[in-house]
Amino acid sequence: MSRILTAGLILFPFIGLFLAFPAAFSWDEAFGNTVIYVIILGFINVWLGIGTAWWLMFTESRWKTSVEWFTFLPLFIPVMASMFGMYIALAQLGLVGTHIGVGLVLLVTTLPYSIRLAYNAMYVIGRTLLEQTLMLAPWTRFGLVLFPLLKETIRTIVLFSTVIVLSQFVLVQLIGAGLVPTVTTRLYQSYAGNDVSLALQNTWVLILVPVLLYLGLGGLFGIWIRLVKGRLQ
Amino acid sequence: MSRSSLWLSLFVLALPFTGVAFLIYETIGFDWSELNDAAWRASLAVTLYVTVVSTVLSLVIGTWLARSVYRHRSTWLASLLRWPMFIPHVAAAYLFYLLFSGVFPFYGLIEANERHHLVVIFTYVWKEVPFVFLMVIGTYAQLNRGYLDMAKTLQLTPFKQFKVAEWPFLVKPLLDSFWVLVAFISFAYEVPALLGVTFPELLGVLAYERLTTGLFLNAYESYAVALIWTLFIFIGVISSYAVTAKRRRRIERGVRR
Repeated sequence: MSRILTAGLILFPFIGLFLAFPAAFSWDEAFGNTVIYVIILGFINVWLGIGTAWWLMFTESRWKTSVEWFTFLPLFIPVMASMFGMYIALAQLGLVGTHIGVGLVLLVTTLPYSIRLAYNAMYVIGRTLLEQTLMLAPWTRFGLVLFPLLKETIRTIVLFSTVIVLSQFVLVQLIGAGLVPTVTTRLYQSYAGNDVSLALQNTWVLILVPVLLYLGLGGLFGIWIRLVKGRLQ
Repeated sequence: MSRSSLWLSLFVLALPFTGVAFLIYETIGFDWSELNDAAWRASLAVTLYVTVVSTVLSLVIGTWLARSVYRHRSTWLASLLRWPMFIPHVAAAYLFYLLFSGVFPFYGLIEANERHHLVVIFTYVWKEVPFVFLMVIGTYAQLNRGYLDMAKTLQLTPFKQFKVAEWPFLVKPLLDSFWVLVAFISFAYEVPALLGVTFPELLGVLAYERLTTGLFLNAYESYAVALIWTLFIFIGVISSYAVTAKRRRRIERGVRR
């Protein structure tokens, strides 16, 4: 009974999506920016997350514990607080108001999660199994062994980074100096303008982007796994 | 391959620390008594309230759900709990705003934009429970049932069973989640800006507004608040990890002291 109630409470906020009719969707700069950021950051997060986790897994270096802490600590710094500081730093470098500046700061907020997710997954798979792959060339190793083992983790990393990227309003507004529109920044403007159907349209987009990306990656990864399994016969 | 990505990661992750260093540099010579005005004081109180209530509720509910999923093996509930993770915080906040601002029969009972910040807390709890669940369910999956069976054989009360057979293993994931949530909730803009009120505002909202309005004249106040808040959380993190270090090491490496 309590589980049914829990399920109801989880689903309840989704009612909001159907309370009004969303405005018709059209492709514009804000949406284009959003999709490009999501794809690029998802890709970089998977790459750096798995690479760094791999190093942490196999290193004999005496710096291991320090590196572990260094990659973990940013989770405990409030994003906005460190961002105020990064704003001052990036302003000196002339990166405020540019795509590179915004992308870099978005990467800072997502990367600690990705490293942690990748490391935990590799830890569960175990060092002994991963060690067997060390003789393979890097790309073969990744494509034929690591990727099939880690495909769910990769999807989760992409999902996490996507959802975090889509949540950032202050970051994009401040570091982008208002020059980089995304769906999130537009949601706040339409909210302030009291335009329910436009705000709801943006909300739909913010929810559908991660869902479609997650399902799409699931399909793509499935095809690759079938190809790899074909090699067994 | 892994070495180059390590260096890139280290470079990227050095940025937040550089940011904090810049905050320290900018606040040298700041007159700290400027922070002693009514808006900041009210903001601190309401921030502590919202943060503590949302974090504790999320931790308790998340752990309870992980426990019941583990015991009843209800995989459908586990997969349903993933749903809120697909929703960005901003979108969740807007959905709650729609539900609690007039269109729905709850209106008058619980409303968005009121000074108790109940809807802000709801939004955070709804979003963070799946996160806590994910952090804790891994521990439950690896939990040695032997401890629980032993506790039952000794006829301990359910509370004591939990205390000796489950709690020691939960300390680490719960401590990690606690600080991630506190750092996240206590200094954010997106959710309280949509669902909060203009007085008292949460720290993140007030800091962002002071920073961006009026040609950055009040920027130093925001920098100072961001700096103290970061240091405050850092001290909390370091002291709580130091206090539990011995116990966590014992769990990780076996019973040897």
